[in-house]
Amino acid sequence: MVNLAQVLFESLVSGSLYLLASVGLSITYGLSKFPNFAHAEFITFGAYIAYFFLVQIKAPAFISFALAFLVSGILGALSYVLLFAPLSKRGSSTIQLMIASIGLGLILRHTCMEIWGGGILSFKIFFPIYRWPPISTSLIWLLIVLDAAITAVILHLFLKKSRLGKAMRATSDNPNLAMASGINVELITVLGWFLSGALAGLGGAFLAAGTALVPLLGWKVLLSAFAVTILGGTGSFYGSIIASYIIGAAENLGIVGLVALNLSADYRTAISFIILIVLLIFRPQGLFKQAGRGD
Amino acid sequence: MGNIIDSKNAISTTMALIAIIIIAAIAGGVGYYGGNLSGYSAGYEAGSRGAYQQGFQAGLQQGNSSGYSKGYQAALEKAKPILPDVIKIGQIQSLSGGLGPFGTKIAKGAQLAVDEVNARGGIRGRRIQLITEDDATDPTRALEVAKKLVEVDGVQVIIGTTGSAQLRAIAPYLIEKKVLIISPSVSGPFLSTDYPNSYVMRTCASDVLQGAVMGDLVLQRGYKRVAYLIMDNAYGRGICAEVKKKVGEGVVTIFFDEKKLNYKTELEQVKAANPDVVVHVGYPEDATVMFKQALEAGLEKVQWISAEGVYGTAMFPPEGDPAAAEFMSIAVIGTAPTTPGGILYEEFARRYTEAFGMEPMVYCDTCYDATMLAIQAIAYCGEYNGTKIRDAVLTIARNYIGPSGHKIFQPNGVDMMYSYYIIWDVEEVSPGKYEFKEIGRWP
Repeated sequence: MVNLAQVLFESLVSGSLYLLASVGLSITYGLSKFPNFAHAEFITFGAYIAYFFLVQIKAPAFISFALAFLVSGILGALSYVLLFAPLSKRGSSTIQLMIASIGLGLILRHTCMEIWGGGILSFKIFFPIYRWPPISTSLIWLLIVLDAAITAVILHLFLKKSRLGKAMRATSDNPNLAMASGINVELITVLGWFLSGALAGLGGAFLAAGTALVPLLGWKVLLSAFAVTILGGTGSFYGSIIASYIIGAAENLGIVGLVALNLSADYRTAISFIILIVLLIFRPQGLFKQAGRGD
Repeated sequence: MGNIIDSKNAISTTMALIAIIIIAAIAGGVGYYGGNLSGYSAGYEAGSRGAYQQGFQAGLQQGNSSGYSKGYQAALEKAKPILPDVIKIGQIQSLSGGLGPFGTKIAKGAQLAVDEVNARGGIRGRRIQLITEDDATDPTRALEVAKKLVEVDGVQVIIGTTGSAQLRAIAPYLIEKKVLIISPSVSGPFLSTDYPNSYVMRTCASDVLQGAVMGDLVLQRGYKRVAYLIMDNAYGRGICAEVKKKVGEGVVTIFFDEKKLNYKTELEQVKAANPDVVVHVGYPEDATVMFKQALEAGLEKVQWISAEGVYGTAMFPPEGDPAAAEFMSIAVIGTAPTTPGGILYEEFARRYTEAFGMEPMVYCDTCYDATMLAIQAIAYCGEYNGTKIRDAVLTIARNYIGPSGHKIFQPNGVDMMYSYYIIWDVEEVSPGKYEFKEIGRWP
């Protein structure tokens, strides 16, 4: 009765979406050592930028999404340079940075609402639908899966093979040692924040294109993204990749279970958190350890 | 010869000083207190005498003049009605939020009525002021603006709200304050069951009927496996209950969250139940996503019957999403309340289009009629008082025929006696351009 193939495909889609959303979160957590709640607004902001170029300026889709990536990345970098860096230089604690990020998120969200209104916006693109029985899906979801795969590969190569990537892993691992080794820790951190914002923004743009754009778009994803980050081990890039798909599968398969038990499908986020809690009880460091040691 | 005062027995200077001070203080206190007392009673005496005299004189004067003016006022009251110089009519509609696309157009129906009457001189020469507030499709906000209208602006009659949940939130407050509210669009059955013969009325049909129309449609077309995909609020649940009374429980019932905007899971559940018809209730915002994702899921092969929540051109491009519109043209038919039509409605539509540059949609006419009923009721009873206006509306409505039909009320004082529905379909008249087509009527 249940279309298992479709459910597994949806798990793939959810996992890819969470990957785009949570890799960035993991990077900034590893580099700056605090959970960035404004990440939800990075996601939403990217969607608004894509909307602006695509629907209001009528630029081609590819350009709009590329710009969403870039502008969100700049937003991420600026958040660090203008807010979090000065605060942490003044000796702010983790809690203080966390609260600052919540404040930043509020400002960003309401600025977007001022500019574009608080209502729901549609991208108005008619994505072609593909039917490969038993699976049916639309182009946008395939693009998300593709994008996540490409992101994972590029990031892997970047972190493993390039100097800059290795420097980033080193900084995340042990900032003092990295600095002593002559790595420009500040520049690496800005780069990390840029990447975080950019990936989040791109993911948000895709999600909004596939569903609809609302100011709380990022929050719908953020809760699960946090679950992914913690599950994967904060700061561990590979951990968050694997955790994304685990959580994606758990939510979608869990829905099947929920329906069988006659419960509302709205409990899907609860599933990821139950898994998270259970795992943290038995393995508090997450699936993988800190970045650098988890590969 | 020694000192007579032995230094040991003498009181020291300091002690002496202290003693003097204490004695002085006591004396002062006694004097003060005593003085107070006597002064008080002396003053009291003098005062009473004086006050008494004055009071007597004043009373004499007052009595004369107030008696005179009271009599004068009473006579005036009998002779002429008491209406304020500016007659305020409040309006609460959803100008933003889920029902924003509907509320903004409906509100103009009230505006048209007020403008027309003002152009002809207002009510007994007094101008009407329409005070419109936005409830943002949120029950909490609706209560805030209702309080503002009643307590700050002092309105005694309100036109609104757009949605059922908002009216449900403010009805108890307005009843307590004895302020009349007439809704042009709230169709939830709870209005008739919870507040009969009170301060809540509507000029539109109750969903008790829309549910019956949808149910009849299902039975007429011979569908056996019914899936219910219903938005989880008063409006959706109301309609769902009524349809089930006619058609039965169906193969699956899903109440979805209108804020979630991602319904792939819900649609998978619908697919898994293998229905031949989907009974759907939603608002334009969630329905856009629902229809888009239903198209992706391949559910356009099943017939969908939607309630009037999606009956609006806001669903079509250029305002709406092309994928959702495409899905509607393939798979969706629906019901919507309508007017008996005829020249009164056509004239209204012409005037509305002329005034606002757009055609009226569903409930614009009932809003116009609700406002007209309120205006005529105020003129009839000549008093700006919620209870009197409410009674007057019931009387006026017996003979009022407007663009939405004959507005005579049922004995419960809430619902209209007569209601009409159409069955609509969506057609793609040219690539990318969609229109609603009427394919049937009810009754």
